[in-house]
Amino acid sequence: MFGRWFKKIFNIFKKKKVIQLGFYGPVNAGKTTLANKISMDWLGKEVGVVSEIPHETRHIQKIENVVVKTDNGELNMNLVDMPGIATQVDYRTFGAYGLSEEEAKERAKEATKGVIEAIKWLDDVDAVLVVMDSADDPYTQVNITIIGNLEARGIPTIIVANKIDLPNSSPSSIENAFPQHVVIPVSAATGENIEKLYATIQERLG
Amino acid sequence: MGQEIQLDFISSDSLSTKSSLEKIDLILNRIKNNVIVVLEEGLTPLEETELIEATMREIDAKDFHGIEFYRIDHKATRLREKIANYIAGKKMGMTIVGPTRVVEAIKREPDCISMLARGGEELSTSAQGAGKSTKKARKPS
Repeated sequence: MFGRWFKKIFNIFKKKKVIQLGFYGPVNAGKTTLANKISMDWLGKEVGVVSEIPHETRHIQKIENVVVKTDNGELNMNLVDMPGIATQVDYRTFGAYGLSEEEAKERAKEATKGVIEAIKWLDDVDAVLVVMDSADDPYTQVNITIIGNLEARGIPTIIVANKIDLPNSSPSSIENAFPQHVVIPVSAATGENIEKLYATIQERLG
Repeated sequence: MGQEIQLDFISSDSLSTKSSLEKIDLILNRIKNNVIVVLEEGLTPLEETELIEATMREIDAKDFHGIEFYRIDHKATRLREKIANYIAGKKMGMTIVGPTRVVEAIKREPDCISMLARGGEELSTSAQGAGKSTKKARKPS
């Protein structure tokens, strides 16, 4: 507890040059797609593989020194793409995506380790983008737990209402669910409104 | 005959003497025996991540695939209530936790929390017993 406060106070004076930006959120919200979009825009290479199969990202993926430049300055960040947070991992759900039982069990095993790894990383990130699927109900316990944790730890947070290209997307539902936070609607897949996200990152974290 | 569903209500008094780790153990020991647990106080967000982390460690392909849980917050509005809670060390609210093989979903509705539970086919080989039931817990005002 005191260590965390000391670190925060120390960082204020130190003014870190490179920000560890974590990508948190539920499974299949588009965290890797967003990390890829940001990394491609500013570094020209991707962070990780995207798939419709849940728990595609099962290990922390990190890409360093991504410098985001806006009218208000530039920001050097390490993008840390986290496995999706879940309260359950049932290997049988992977069967619908054509995985064999053995592959599905292995994927599930790795996925549980990934969730633990992502939770442990909460101690090491300086700021977080919480990525939510704007076509889904935002009132889930996973979303509430992630946001509650970041608030308790005092970690600067921006909520990204992703997938606004989908016809049933509703970023306002996320704004209503978490009115105490900045919510930026984007489509990581098409790049829609991504400039607004960059401006907000600079404004909040710069 | 349908599969019976057991709900254990744990009072805030019995939770007040327990550490976070003890609370998590208490929850998971019951959950792994297919019991739904209702805590008469909300877990903190940090305890919730500890619960998720401990759940991930316990998941195995054969018997246990995880949990569904929901915290219902209740903020004291009257000063007397706030002081009483502070003195008693109570965290207002309620937490419902269930194993996924029993609890299909817990959804928040405008004025209540809706829990969909089942006497699933994994619990009972009787086809007639594989039913679903919805238990609704009214949200504290």
